Amino acid sequence: MSVKGGYFFRILDVDLTRGETTIVPIDESFVLKYIGGRGFGARLVADHLKKSGGKCDPLGPENILVIAPGPLTGVYLPASGKNSFVTLSPATGIYGDSSMGGVFGVELRQAGYDAVVLRGRAPELSVLTIEDDRVGILPLPQAAGVSTLEAEKLVREATGDEDMKIASIGMAGENGVVFSCVNADWSRNAGRIGIGAVMGSKNLKSIAVRGSKDLPVYDLDALVRVSREGYDYLKSHEFFRFWQEQGLMSVVDYANAMGILPTHNFKETVFDRADKMNGYVMEDRYKISDTACFGCSMSCGNVCLVREGKYRGTVTEGPEYESAAMLGSNLGASNFAYILKANALCDDLGVDTISTGSIIGSMIEGLEKGILTQEDLDGDEITWGDEEGILRLIGKIAGREGVGDTLAGGAFAILKRWPDMEGVLSHVKGLEQSAYDARAAISMALGYGTSDIGAHHTRAWTVASELENGAGWGLEEKAEFVIYHQTIRPLFDMLGVCRLPWIELGFPEEYYQRFYQAVTGVERSMDDLLECSRHVYDLTRTINVTLGIDRKDDYPPRRTLVDPVPSGPTKGNVVDRDEYEKILDLYYEKRGWDSDGKPSLSL
Amino acid sequence: MHLTVIPERCSGCKVCELACSVGRQGVNNPKKSRIRVMVLYPHPVIRMPIVCKQCGVPKCGDGCPTSAIYRENGIVQLDREKCISCNQCLTSCPFGAMFLHEDIEQPLKCDLCDGKPLCVEACPKEALKFHPKHILGQAHRLAAARNYAKMSKVEYMDGGQRKVLHYTKARGKKDER
Ligand code: SF4
Repeated sequence: MSVKGGYFFRILDVDLTRGETTIVPIDESFVLKYIGGRGFGARLVADHLKKSGGKCDPLGPENILVIAPGPLTGVYLPASGKNSFVTLSPATGIYGDSSMGGVFGVELRQAGYDAVVLRGRAPELSVLTIEDDRVGILPLPQAAGVSTLEAEKLVREATGDEDMKIASIGMAGENGVVFSCVNADWSRNAGRIGIGAVMGSKNLKSIAVRGSKDLPVYDLDALVRVSREGYDYLKSHEFFRFWQEQGLMSVVDYANAMGILPTHNFKETVFDRADKMNGYVMEDRYKISDTACFGCSMSCGNVCLVREGKYRGTVTEGPEYESAAMLGSNLGASNFAYILKANALCDDLGVDTISTGSIIGSMIEGLEKGILTQEDLDGDEITWGDEEGILRLIGKIAGREGVGDTLAGGAFAILKRWPDMEGVLSHVKGLEQSAYDARAAISMALGYGTSDIGAHHTRAWTVASELENGAGWGLEEKAEFVIYHQTIRPLFDMLGVCRLPWIELGFPEEYYQRFYQAVTGVERSMDDLLECSRHVYDLTRTINVTLGIDRKDDYPPRRTLVDPVPSGPTKGNVVDRDEYEKILDLYYEKRGWDSDGKPSLSL
Repeated sequence: MHLTVIPERCSGCKVCELACSVGRQGVNNPKKSRIRVMVLYPHPVIRMPIVCKQCGVPKCGDGCPTSAIYRENGIVQLDREKCISCNQCLTSCPFGAMFLHEDIEQPLKCDLCDGKPLCVEACPKEALKFHPKHILGQAHRLAAARNYAKMSKVEYMDGGQRKVLHYTKARGKKDER
């Protein structure tokens, strides 16, 4: 197979300690095997871990942060704006990645790199500038403690360029909050696993990029033909308009109706005030415009403005479903204006909305249950729906003030200080659970339990399918379904495209094989591409096994196995532990891992 | 015919830039497009596609030392023979609708693709319209008239069902510009 497009065949390696940059060539066999994005990141992190003797402090200068778009990023096809951030996570201590949308990744690719590797630590707070072949590290001490948006402004001033695409961390990233994000294009985040803290540990406030190169496409005519067909497919979908109007906010009603909406710290799965914070409320009263990531016709982003009341003047892009659920129903709050305020605050400070909502929810429940005292929270009394208390706590987390210092350390730090919180704080491998209850769908529990980054839904969002169609499925089918998701979804991250056209509007998988072929000139079946993705999953597992992960870490959050759903359509459901052991065995077997969850691969 | 931009509808997806660069320059490079989407946030939030308005009195031609810019059949054209790549037009155009790329010698300029603009066809938000001139301003005239009546919605019966028609939404479901 020879690769005729899709790559620049080079990686930019930046040593921030020494202020040196190197161009590292990559070859055909590397790009064929790892494809790009998350695939490149996983391979590079594995190599690095091997060289470091299997040990690496995520917040030490020795950790590397890989930023990798894919061969389809920025290409004329639906939703091609994705870019992966890959590193070892300070939240979990193991492999972590996050895929960011927007336009940042496109710009980075146009600068002519297939990936950027950051290592070391700059002597002072700095901005990395990449303008095609010119790479520089500029001191930016004036940006200490400022919000992500202000950082952007300061970078524009320092570089004198209004058009650069800028990714920044907020105060939380500088303070090493283990669930801090990297933020670009106003509201696109590389979130969840603390990539902001890794950037902060490298003394890097921002990365500013300008790229001008043509993206290598092997057969442009073929690409245009397939892409037009693809855009037409999406446009003719019956939910296309609705999706443009509400985007992921439409999921609030769905999750509530199905009985999977996290409510009061995942205790309940139905929220009686969900109709105060759903997509229609957003559309009717708050939405002022639509936004889209690069190349995407579905424009799931919503810009919202609060016009009146105490949060008047708050303007933010979002929230999407996860943020609305975790900062809303999960905290017993339904005031949409407050949700917008909390969302904007999280973006400004650079913290992940999911972990923040999960952690604050567990604090409220901890107080309620008497596991925590008011003194533990610096004398603060915080209750369900207590908007001001929640907003205050978000600020304390980002600034590491008082109890915020513990909370900033994520699930592990909280459990170390208050071990009794184990049944209250829902997490897997130290990553807090995202916004889908899994008690009525064992495949979702397995998805959370075996996700390589912890309790996040993007690897295997199987809950809807199981609840809708899974009545007759056996455990075996469910385990296979989870593996199928964990195989195809990472492929999107490797190619540099968004999964939402596929999962939300049924965009057929075969398009991606056709896009890949038009761009790279490599004829490969979809199965062949999925095989690469499967290998990458084995590789990230191997990284995790090297770092001490085994079967004991592959269980869903305690609540999923212990507390039956108290009310609503999923009432009485809880995942049975014996069943879970069985499905976990089946899962390992089908993956070819041993009964302790170890693949035969070595780093 | 006139290429009209409706910034309120634009999502900033840049599909227009892709369609233009792929179709007109034969490369996948939004930096070689003749339409560019400016994205500003958070104050104000605006996504503004910038493209030549084919002005009746083309200001871009002001100061062009070789008079390379001329107007023909309603389209402002750049005479590639005469152009000496001094880039005066880039700063003369009050909209910034002339573009440069270091790979390309002469400025990039929209010429409406022989009457079938690729960007208009590709835009998924109907933020770009290719209209006969008499349509221009109709939406505003209509909106002004409705505003005067201060009517935000009407209820009516349709096939025995009660329906509501909203007039004030700027998202353009019912008000075609
Ligand atoms: S294609 Fe349409 S919606 Fe997308 S950026 Fe261009 S004008 Fe805006």
